[in-house]
Amino acid sequence: MSDVAGAEKQGAGPTSPCVDPLGDPFLPASFAVPARPATFLRRDRLVSHLDQALRTPLTVVNGAAGAGKTLLAADWAAGLDRPVAWLTTDAVDQGPGMFWAYLIQALQASGTPVPPSVGKPSDTNRVDHMLLARLATHLSGCDPAVVLVLDEYDRVSAPEIADQLEFVLHHAGAGLHLILVSRTEPLLPLHRYRAAGAMTEIRGAELAFTPDEAATLLARHGLRLGATAVSALVARTQGWAAGLRLCALAALDSPDPALYLKEFEADRSTVADFLLAEVLKRQTAETQDLLLRVSVLERICPDLANALTGRGDAEPLLAGLHRENAFIEYDGHAWYRLHPLFGEILRAHLRVRSPGLEPELHRRAARWLRQSGFLSEMLAHGAAAGDWEFTAGALVEDLAIGQLLTGLRSAELAELFSRMGPEAESPATNLVRAARELSRSDLDRGLAHLHQAEEGLAEDAPGAAAARLSCSLLEVLAARLSGSPACAEEAAAAAGDLRREVPAHLLDKHPELIALLQTHLGSARLWAGRFEEARAALTTVAGRSGGAATALPREESLGHLALIDYLNGWPGRAERKALAAMSETDRLSRDPPSGSGIDRVVLAAVAVDRDDLAQAQSLLDAAADSPPALRDPVTETGRAIARARLLLARGHTQAALEAAEPDVPAAVVSPWAEGQTTLVASAVHLAEGRPEVAARILQTAPDDQLVCAVAAAQAQLAAGRPDVAVDLLDGAHPEGRAGPALTVRATLVRARAADMTGDSAGARRLLGHALIEARRERLRRPFLEAGPWLRPHLVTEPLQGLGAGWLTPGPPPPAAQSAAQVVEELSGRESDVLQRLAQMMSTEDIAADLYLSVNTVKTHLKSVYRKLGVNRRNDAVRRARALRLL
Amino acid sequence: MRYEIRVEGHVSETLAKAFPELDHVVMSGQTVLFGPVVDEAQLYGLLARCQSLGLRVVEMRQLPE
Repeated sequence: MSDVAGAEKQGAGPTSPCVDPLGDPFLPASFAVPARPATFLRRDRLVSHLDQALRTPLTVVNGAAGAGKTLLAADWAAGLDRPVAWLTTDAVDQGPGMFWAYLIQALQASGTPVPPSVGKPSDTNRVDHMLLARLATHLSGCDPAVVLVLDEYDRVSAPEIADQLEFVLHHAGAGLHLILVSRTEPLLPLHRYRAAGAMTEIRGAELAFTPDEAATLLARHGLRLGATAVSALVARTQGWAAGLRLCALAALDSPDPALYLKEFEADRSTVADFLLAEVLKRQTAETQDLLLRVSVLERICPDLANALTGRGDAEPLLAGLHRENAFIEYDGHAWYRLHPLFGEILRAHLRVRSPGLEPELHRRAARWLRQSGFLSEMLAHGAAAGDWEFTAGALVEDLAIGQLLTGLRSAELAELFSRMGPEAESPATNLVRAARELSRSDLDRGLAHLHQAEEGLAEDAPGAAAARLSCSLLEVLAARLSGSPACAEEAAAAAGDLRREVPAHLLDKHPELIALLQTHLGSARLWAGRFEEARAALTTVAGRSGGAATALPREESLGHLALIDYLNGWPGRAERKALAAMSETDRLSRDPPSGSGIDRVVLAAVAVDRDDLAQAQSLLDAAADSPPALRDPVTETGRAIARARLLLARGHTQAALEAAEPDVPAAVVSPWAEGQTTLVASAVHLAEGRPEVAARILQTAPDDQLVCAVAAAQAQLAAGRPDVAVDLLDGAHPEGRAGPALTVRATLVRARAADMTGDSAGARRLLGHALIEARRERLRRPFLEAGPWLRPHLVTEPLQGLGAGWLTPGPPPPAAQSAAQVVEELSGRESDVLQRLAQMMSTEDIAADLYLSVNTVKTHLKSVYRKLGVNRRNDAVRRARALRLL
Repeated sequence: MRYEIRVEGHVSETLAKAFPELDHVVMSGQTVLFGPVVDEAQLYGLLARCQSLGLRVVEMRQLPE
């Protein structure tokens, strides 16, 4: 029993604040090894067969419902001298993310610590492959091996879960013994395990009771029969445990058990059907009514059962049924549940006896669950009742509307509400419809529903503040999607007032609501060109410590902040933020991104500035392969610019011109978006030899942007007017925040102007400045754009040294060095790190890129230095080049 | 597609209500459930339902149209 105690202790202890990917607490009952009833009969032949499980990676216990699989495994687990991780998968029929979250929690609850670095799935429907790899690696090092029982595995229907389990089992090696208890054969490649002798198999025939065992079992129920009678019974039930048990119950209640059993033998009804009806009709009217009514529930607690029956006697009735071991199992945490076999049959009886009562029962269950704070179960029952006003109303009142947008639960909720017909008319149902449409970027329909919701919202209705706050969130989202900053501000201001009117604990429970609101507001402000205000809104989201619920808004906010950095000319900062945005969701294993994909857009734009065109292309292609859920003007303009810049770099000028026009309409014109589009157009004219046209269209560009001034100066240079170019630069107000991507270009214009006026020394001095500034950021593109005049300068010292290794090929290795051999070969990981070092990536960037910790990267760096006989990263790269390791 | 599923024993009228989409007939110690099946998903669903009701499937076959 030590394992059960352990599980309970853990459940109440420090692990209890743990929540599943939906933010709900884990159901502790899922991790409890089921208790054996007093009449349980241990069968040594099965226990000793199951002991083989400790010698094989995989064990499968297959058998019909009621064959005694679970109790066998539970009894065996309780007798083991080590903790057993137990997961009853009934709560987990919601997709791989939920399954793995529960599985990891089951390991934790059994006292097998899973390090936080393994991560947790944040989406109910997906799990990151890297997470599984990390989990398998962790398990492979466990000694003694972890014993994991998955009970009711037949309820896991997603085929990918079987693949994932197989992957983890395979890679965990000797560190994991997996025991699948299932009614159906699991979809794992069992033949392979069987052929390799790596599987323990207990199947239905073995679980069947022998006459001797049946006699003992019946005796425990107080029924003593002769050998012939027992044999006949075993033949009739085919040794089926549940059948024998029901038989005993039915016979004991009858005046002449022996005669009763004879009748049962002669009867030709199906066993379960017959016996259940028999046992049911022997119960009191109240008990029968209770059993039929609770058959609509997954799990039962006395108070909830009372809500369904309208009486107050559920507690003694349930306890009595459990004691009698008739239909009810107890999970040890105040919840009962029907034996799965009987639940189905009881529902059939309910439909016959009280046709039409089912929806009403679901409705009552939904109301009770709502009051008791079980939101997700409430939603399921509310939907089953078809009571959409209530269901949507509860969702809105709970401030959970954001869950339709975050992607965590959105798929499940969308599925649930897809059954909602048009007849359901309330502000809440319209808010749900609006959220669903807006999350697919369908502005027209979303706004139509939103307006209907607003019209229906009475000021003083109970819970109106929550509905209006939900409304404001959707309005800010709609404003972001339609590029209307003023509307966004207005709705956000309204939300700010409403926040004080809703209960604080609900806001804490659903942090995604405010996080989403701030993110959308920041995006709208960015569109308006108010970078600092945008940054203020976005930073509140990006800076908060993260739960899974806010992973998507955090990713989006970091991505927008990255875009601001990029537009201000700071590619390094932009890259770091975009990578942080991606790791935000990678760590929580959500792929593909369900947001706008802005982080990849920024990375592509940065890659173009560094002239890493292949990288830029693959980032843009990846985004094109999986179109983003949200299409807002900021991201689409960013994407259009990155694409146009890439095409320009490849010399496809006309295609660049076409690509620069984003195809997302916006209510107001964005100054930077317009500026960037004009820049691409002017660059095309320049590239095609029309500097005058380029200069002319730039006159219409907003003149407060340094980037436009630089482009105008470039056009003047190309037109042969270096003095005008320098004047333009002098006249621009280089704001303090302009980063190297802008200042390097400006310096190059000045250098070229100096060169054209014959001031070679001045040109080289300026070039030196530009090189030093660009080297840190690996900004190659501005030098390639600047034209061939640079080349003669770049081969002169000291410019050659400044450009060597990142802009121009490095110096030829001295003969003495190349003769020296590396004493020790670099490992694969060390080479990976070295290659990234050569790309001037920081330690943090390398760690993020390779999914390693910073400390691990530092360790690899030290070995690289040692093996190459150097002390600094620059020397390491130089030496590696000399040795042709790069 | 039309299918028939033959299960062991006589299924009561109440239990037969668990298969509202199928007709049934009881014969010689077996019950035959039969009727239209939309697709494979429904077919497997029916089999799973038999299992959760503790019915032993003896035979299942597609009927000629």
